[in-house]
Amino acid sequence: MSLWGIGQWIDDRGVRRTWEVGSDEINRAIGAAPNVLAGIGLERGARVLYCSMLSEAAQFWPLVVGAMLRGAQLSCADATAAEAPRIAMFTRQLDYHAVLGVTPELLDGLDELGHPYHEIFGPTPVVGARPGAYERLVAAGLKPHHFVLVGPAVALATEPGGPAIVDEHEWHLDAEPDGVVAVTSRRDRSTRFDHTRTAITASIPSPDRLTPTPAR
Amino acid sequence: MTNLPALDSPYWDAEYETMARDRLRDLQFELLTETIAFAYEHSALTREAWDEARIVPTDIRDWHDFTDKVPFLDKDAQRRFRDERNDPYGGVLCRDPAELTAINSTSGTTGDPTLVPELWGGGFVGRPAIMYRDFWGMGVRPGDHFALFLFTFRGPTYGFVQQLGAIPMLFDYDVSEIERLLRRSIEYRPTALYNFGGTMINATAEIAAAAGIDPRDAFSSYRSVVFAGEPLGARARALADEWGMPLFEHSNVGDVTACFECTAHDGMHFWEDMAYVEGIDPMALDHHDAQPITGNRVRCELVATALTNRVAPLVRFRSDDLVEIDRTPCTCGRTHARIWTIGRKGDEVVVDGVSVLPVDVWDAVESVDACRLGLFQVVRPQRAVDTLHVRVGYQDTPESRLGALRDDVTNAIAQATGVEPNIELVPNAALLRLGPPHKIPRVTKR
Repeated sequence: MSLWGIGQWIDDRGVRRTWEVGSDEINRAIGAAPNVLAGIGLERGARVLYCSMLSEAAQFWPLVVGAMLRGAQLSCADATAAEAPRIAMFTRQLDYHAVLGVTPELLDGLDELGHPYHEIFGPTPVVGARPGAYERLVAAGLKPHHFVLVGPAVALATEPGGPAIVDEHEWHLDAEPDGVVAVTSRRDRSTRFDHTRTAITASIPSPDRLTPTPAR
Repeated sequence: MTNLPALDSPYWDAEYETMARDRLRDLQFELLTETIAFAYEHSALTREAWDEARIVPTDIRDWHDFTDKVPFLDKDAQRRFRDERNDPYGGVLCRDPAELTAINSTSGTTGDPTLVPELWGGGFVGRPAIMYRDFWGMGVRPGDHFALFLFTFRGPTYGFVQQLGAIPMLFDYDVSEIERLLRRSIEYRPTALYNFGGTMINATAEIAAAAGIDPRDAFSSYRSVVFAGEPLGARARALADEWGMPLFEHSNVGDVTACFECTAHDGMHFWEDMAYVEGIDPMALDHHDAQPITGNRVRCELVATALTNRVAPLVRFRSDDLVEIDRTPCTCGRTHARIWTIGRKGDEVVVDGVSVLPVDVWDAVESVDACRLGLFQVVRPQRAVDTLHVRVGYQDTPESRLGALRDDVTNAIAQATGVEPNIELVPNAALLRLGPPHKIPRVTKR
């Protein structure tokens, strides 16, 4: 199987694990991504800002191409405190339908700059926040969507407060007795996942949905 | 994957990379004629500047017309246009904004990040050049593993690696990723690493020692380790030599294109079928006043014109960058010019008539052990100052030792520059938060 690249995912001990990603599986994810983005109302001509790290490219690349396939426009920034000025610049100068992948570190950076969250994210219809950032945005009176990297899988809620959803054709989620989410791959992959424990703790209402508790 | 050249070819595009200079010059003028017509028709800022100069594209019949008549643009003009006209693209966008694929941004190291409009799969004319020609020339071949150690703000950069037939390995541009990079390098034996600069090289020594990893082993498979954005200090260069890292420098060329060292390591090539680059007298007031500097390896200010960009082409963009240019053929066989970066014109501080650039204090800062990461800022409220004020990052030093550390840094910088500095010590972490990850503004007003 030809390789698309070598990324990483984070396990239940917080360790970055090597992830060999095949071209076939990334192409399947690209094929599914337009529907994922349609689920949050991203239309032709709308904009999405991705907050991610290069090490997360295997998780985000399908969403990047998915935005392109939907005729939407995209922007990119690192999901770090130092990138808070860039996020503020983007949201000040351009209208975004969605900002996806907001992290606690990014919010720390906005705090340091003295930018209230509602000033940066208030006008954006969909704010996809990761565990740790989600709770802070809710406390600030915003209505974010859950956005979760469940190890190798990406989960995004289609409504504020709703569970985050992974591709049911690709992934199966279980909650371990201690609340840790384990992920199993359903189709052929260069790296097989079999009840593999991730860094996420959550409740699992169904095998393709999770509602995270704060990150460990 | 695009059509690949023969594996034993040192060139990605032999015809273009080794093109005779008179033919290259003709090709440039052909592309220039198309570019200026396109920019004049679609770029509001270019149209404004040309209207003020009372010229139109058909007035430009030869190179002399171009240098004699066409006004300069610069980043301040873009920012002014952006603010006055409420145009986020500063008047340079030549497309309907609805056509764009992506809107990314510049690093923001020297001011506000500015927007970079992109049209994937249609934003450029001409042949694949930048990155492809450079990394193929450095020895990257299909099937190789290629370590990318980068930020994401320039968008997904890994596509070019896959077009070369290589497999990208993805790392964050962060000190905390170095151990993982070293371990995966031993596991996968990649041949290229992009981008690994002085801060990272300096940090690698301690991280490798703590992890029990031999950096010579970890870097043994690399044919190229590319660093960018900042010069390498003496300490980082010594470590790289010790570990056998095959370093290649890479830089920006006036926000129009980029340049990379080739295997000759004698300056950085920029691809002249993508950009027309001029050197001018840095003190020039405007295009009427600007004396062209055409001698090889003479210090000049870089002015660049995009030749293939059909999204937001800059025409005679005055960069503020001080460089040297050499247009003689390189021993690598390429005919395209080479460049050496000196610093930014706006970074120069004059203390009692003595000119000081950040590069002048770099090695001095790194020579003090507690400051070995080479993190510092020259405080420049204006060009001429009474005192050289340098903010210097430190580590591993208790408060009781800070006075002695300040003396050490003061002496090192005074010896290097001939100017007695005023040193402000701050923890490294405080400086690292000031800019894009691990690349801080080297000059600041306050």
